[in-house]
Amino acid sequence: MKLLVCIKQVPDLESRFKPDAAGVWYNETDLAFRMNEYDEYAVEQAVRLREQLGEGCELTVLSIGPDRVVEAIKKSLAMGCDNAAHIQDAAAYSKDPWQIASIISAYAKERNFDIIFTGMQSQDRGSAQVGVIVAELLGIACTTTIVNFDYDNGTITAKRELEGGIKGVVKLKTPALVTCQLGLNVPRYPTLPNIMKAKKKEITAISVAELLKEESLAATTSFHPPAKKGGGIVLEGDIADQVEKVIAILKDKTAVLR
Amino acid sequence: MKTLLIGEYREGKMLESTYELFGFAAQLGGESAMLMVGSESQLPAYGGTLYLADAAACGEYNPDMHKKLILEAVQIENPDCIVFLHSSYGWDLAPRVAVALKAAQVSEVIALADGGFEVGCCNGKMRRTVKPATAKTVLTIQAGSFPVLQPGGTPDVRKLEAAGGTTVEFTGYEAAEKKDVDLAKAEIIVSAGRGVGKKDNIPVIQALATALGGELGASRPVVDAEWVSHSHQVGTTGQTVSPKLYVACGISGAIQHLAGMKKSDFIIAINKDKDAPIGEIADVLVVADVMQFVPAFTAKIAR
Amino acid sequence: MFLDLSEEQKLIQDTARDFAKAELEPVAASLDQGDDRSPLLNNLKKLAELGFMGLNVKGEYGGSEAGVVSFSLAITEIARACASTAVTVSVNNMVAEVIQAVGSEEQRNAYIPKICSGEYAAGGFALTETCAGSDPAGMCTQAVDDGDSWVLNGSKIFITSAPYAGVFVAWAVTDKDAPKGKGISCFLVEAGTKGLVIGKEEKKMGQHASATNEVIFDDCRIPKSALMGKLNDGFRIAAGELAGGRIGIGSLGLGVGLAAMDYSTRYATERSQFGQKISNFQAIQWMIADAYTELEAARLLLMSAAYRKEAGKSFAREASMAKMFATEAANKACYKALQMLGGYGYTQDFPVERYARDARITAIYEGTNEIQRVIISRDILKNFS
Ligand SMILES: Cc1cc2nc3c(=O)[nH]c(=O)nc-3n(C[C@H](O)[C@H](O)[C@H](O)COP(=O)(O)OP(=O)(O)OC[C@H]3O[C@@H](n4cnc5c(N)ncnc54)[C@H](O)[C@@H]3O)c2cc1C
Ligand SMILES: Cc1cc2nc3c(=O)[nH]c(=O)nc-3n(C[C@H](O)[C@H](O)[C@H](O)COP(=O)(O)OP(=O)(O)OC[C@H]3O[C@@H](n4cnc5c(N)ncnc54)[C@H](O)[C@@H]3O)c2cc1C
Ligand SMILES: Cc1cc2nc3c(=O)[nH]c(=O)nc-3n(C[C@H](O)[C@H](O)[C@H](O)COP(=O)(O)OP(=O)(O)OC[C@H]3O[C@@H](n4cnc5c(N)ncnc54)[C@H](O)[C@@H]3O)c2cc1C
Repeated sequence: MKLLVCIKQVPDLESRFKPDAAGVWYNETDLAFRMNEYDEYAVEQAVRLREQLGEGCELTVLSIGPDRVVEAIKKSLAMGCDNAAHIQDAAAYSKDPWQIASIISAYAKERNFDIIFTGMQSQDRGSAQVGVIVAELLGIACTTTIVNFDYDNGTITAKRELEGGIKGVVKLKTPALVTCQLGLNVPRYPTLPNIMKAKKKEITAISVAELLKEESLAATTSFHPPAKKGGGIVLEGDIADQVEKVIAILKDKTAVLR
Repeated sequence: MKTLLIGEYREGKMLESTYELFGFAAQLGGESAMLMVGSESQLPAYGGTLYLADAAACGEYNPDMHKKLILEAVQIENPDCIVFLHSSYGWDLAPRVAVALKAAQVSEVIALADGGFEVGCCNGKMRRTVKPATAKTVLTIQAGSFPVLQPGGTPDVRKLEAAGGTTVEFTGYEAAEKKDVDLAKAEIIVSAGRGVGKKDNIPVIQALATALGGELGASRPVVDAEWVSHSHQVGTTGQTVSPKLYVACGISGAIQHLAGMKKSDFIIAINKDKDAPIGEIADVLVVADVMQFVPAFTAKIAR
Repeated sequence: MFLDLSEEQKLIQDTARDFAKAELEPVAASLDQGDDRSPLLNNLKKLAELGFMGLNVKGEYGGSEAGVVSFSLAITEIARACASTAVTVSVNNMVAEVIQAVGSEEQRNAYIPKICSGEYAAGGFALTETCAGSDPAGMCTQAVDDGDSWVLNGSKIFITSAPYAGVFVAWAVTDKDAPKGKGISCFLVEAGTKGLVIGKEEKKMGQHASATNEVIFDDCRIPKSALMGKLNDGFRIAAGELAGGRIGIGSLGLGVGLAAMDYSTRYATERSQFGQKISNFQAIQWMIADAYTELEAARLLLMSAAYRKEAGKSFAREASMAKMFATEAANKACYKALQMLGGYGYTQDFPVERYARDARITAIYEGTNEIQRVIISRDILKNFS
């Protein structure tokens, strides 16, 4: 069995975002990067399957991006992936989901992975497209937003999360791709000995130029903060003062306090 | 602009969110047709063309076949935009159609922008304007961003036949967990988010809910961490609520949470981050530590 | 010169930070207030499973082989959330390291894996006595050779983790007549050994969750094989291991100082007086500038000492400098942080008073800062005479 998990590194979402010089994405200075939360679930699920299948199973982690993404790759290796592909691309941020997915499928095409795991979406861009496009380009089965995963003898049984807390149960024959949703599992912390041992695992660096043959289909023309909605009151300062003001507003504007 | 709208149908019913597609189409302008895998007994109140495939034959979730049906309709209609809702159905299907057409896809559109589309990013803190470079565009629109519009009338139904197999076998639905609280009926909801810090702090939020005579709600991470049960979750995968007063404690205001509560009459948010996106829809944003503000607030009302 | 952390070091730092934020911080305040120590013990077990108890210990003994820099980073991150947990982790690492450094192969195999895996909640480092604090060579506890065993008599004080330690590294006089410091030996004493009595727990100003107890040896009979290292070489062993432990305590101080300043700085940007944010006042700005500058200097001193130890260079002077500077920077930072919160800082509704109490001891244990100055100046002066 050959497994692939695709991960992205994203900034800490509690950061402040400022547009970059071109005004089309964020400025990376001062941002701390970490693994996309959805991808942590993907890595955890892939590692669990890797453990379930044992010998003869190989789990590769792939990430596209600049040198900094190696930290996220190493985290995945420490969590239990066997080896890694780092698609080196300092301009990954400027590529659209179509291009990113094209790169991944170009990498995966000859390698015949049985199951590919991706996050449902990235926290910074949130397109929710990459996984599905990869599956379509490879011509393999795919389902999205899974919150439960089982594998037995060539068949995946997954639960998709639908609106309102309902789940849809689906079965897929491998080769297949699944996109992982929050709550699928509880990702492990990498142990320190595994972090150290991961040093010996192989990370193959591949230049993006070798894999990317596609032009982008859509361009970001502006990155900006949302327009401030007028009317909302912002209360800062002293707690006691804030409490008084909120109570006064509630009495004035609503019928909940009398 | 000509659009093909993709309606939604689940568990034998057309979903009401389908009408948001008409709201979007009206803003975009131009002609539109709709496609739905549903049933003749559940037609949208709309007088235009409806490509209808039978869900009994095509399955409610069968992305391979639904893709084929959409491509058939695209062939006939030759639309500029194919529009889905950004939902578990839409985000699953849209990229498949986009790849088949090699069309640009813009996800989770929240508004039209000059020559392109406005989408959220960075967990809703920021916005991007995206301009497709292809002749056809696939769009998914954010739930609740466009008005619900019932054009009225009876559609001109054109039936599409089931065709082709599937690589994904749908075996059934699993009902949502039983509710121990019915938020939909609550007039006041006080919700706890990840910002409350730990499970031990939930009683503090509950105390405010009780003091106000309301119910306790929660964001998803609070439910995932098992601080409260799923029946308290507000948002796309929890409940959609519209109480008279909604108090968001330590909730950032991610799109999926907002979708479940933004129709509340009055919203108070308590967040230590002045720039948290919840501030955009809150009537009052209290910039404070929840664990400082909430007990003080509760004490004052209880008196 | 290269001042960046390696990817492994960054990952260890991130893991420690994520764990501390998710597991330690939520219980830190209640651990400080309450008597129930079980959350601490639970978290120690989890930290052991992740490999935090033997950061600088070889893999064959269950260690992580992550090095001294990683040790320092981990302790700082843990201390940002909970100083009591951090000191326990620091002492456990020190105990594992001393056994690795001077223990026999049997001793290493018998104890280090149990500390690293969390089978033992902790290890104890039993040096200080009532009559021998800053001057451990003046200790009174005796070990007498009784044929096939040693018999220990005397008592130790202020022993971290004593009630839940699985094994103690303990020092005792084996040659009363030898010149000072030349007649002390080092032993391994297992918890539960007859004659080993855990005495009363001290009521402390801070670091409440970490137990500090008297440990009494009352005709405590241990096998001959419990001697660790060479006979009468114990004092040298203690001095050597304390130097490594100082990197841990300095790192702990740094973590508490950073936690205090991060909290108070955010507070200053939210609190208004005289119609504006107090962070607009230069008095507050200078506190922020001074504290963060000192903490950054402390970090660099710690990194340098840790790097030297990891690279096999001499590091005792640097470790003392780092311990002294970092723990003083931390105390000053806590003082400022509390000041920045005004009256609120003095109340238990805010964590800063806890940070201030927790930071205080770091200038005292693992060698008081006066003793660090003795060590540093002695080491410098020897090159001048
Ligand atoms: C398909 C899908 C469906 C989803 N469905 C839902 C759903 O139904 N409901 C839902 O809620 N989410 C849902 N999510 C998750 C959603 O995207 C967010 O991850 C989630 O809403 C974030 O919850 P939060 O605001 O509590 O936490 P965070 O985003 O982590 O925000 C915590 C906030 O608390 C603030 N804060 C921190 N400490 C304090 C303090 N001491 N005092 C005051 N403020 C503080 C921070 O500034 C921050 O703004 C879904 C996601 C996906 C992809
Ligand atoms: C919470 C806590 C945990 C501890 N954990 C452990 C442990 O696990 N194991 C262990 O063995 N010990 C432990 N100790 C003991 C600690 O290491 C000693 O308290 C410390 O070494 C100081 O010794 P003392 O308390 O006897 O002070 P003293 O030695 O009596 O010192 C009193 C004062 O005199 C100063 N002084 C002494 N000699 C000199 C000198 N030559 N020049 C200048 N000034 C001097 C000191 O700096 C200090 O200011 C712990 C202590 C505490 C409080
Ligand atoms: C135990 C206790 C007992 C008390 N007893 C009483 C009592 O009996 N009666 C009573 O009335 N009050 C009492 N107080 C309140 C006490 O006097 C206030 O806490 C004190 O005046 C500081 O105010 P504050 O806490 O609001 O801090 P803040 O005014 O918010 O100050 C926060 C920080 O900002 C600094 N700061 C503020 N303004 C400036 C400026 N213009 N320039 C530079 N720095 C500035 C302060 O020095 C401080 O470092 C008590 C407080 C405590 C903790």
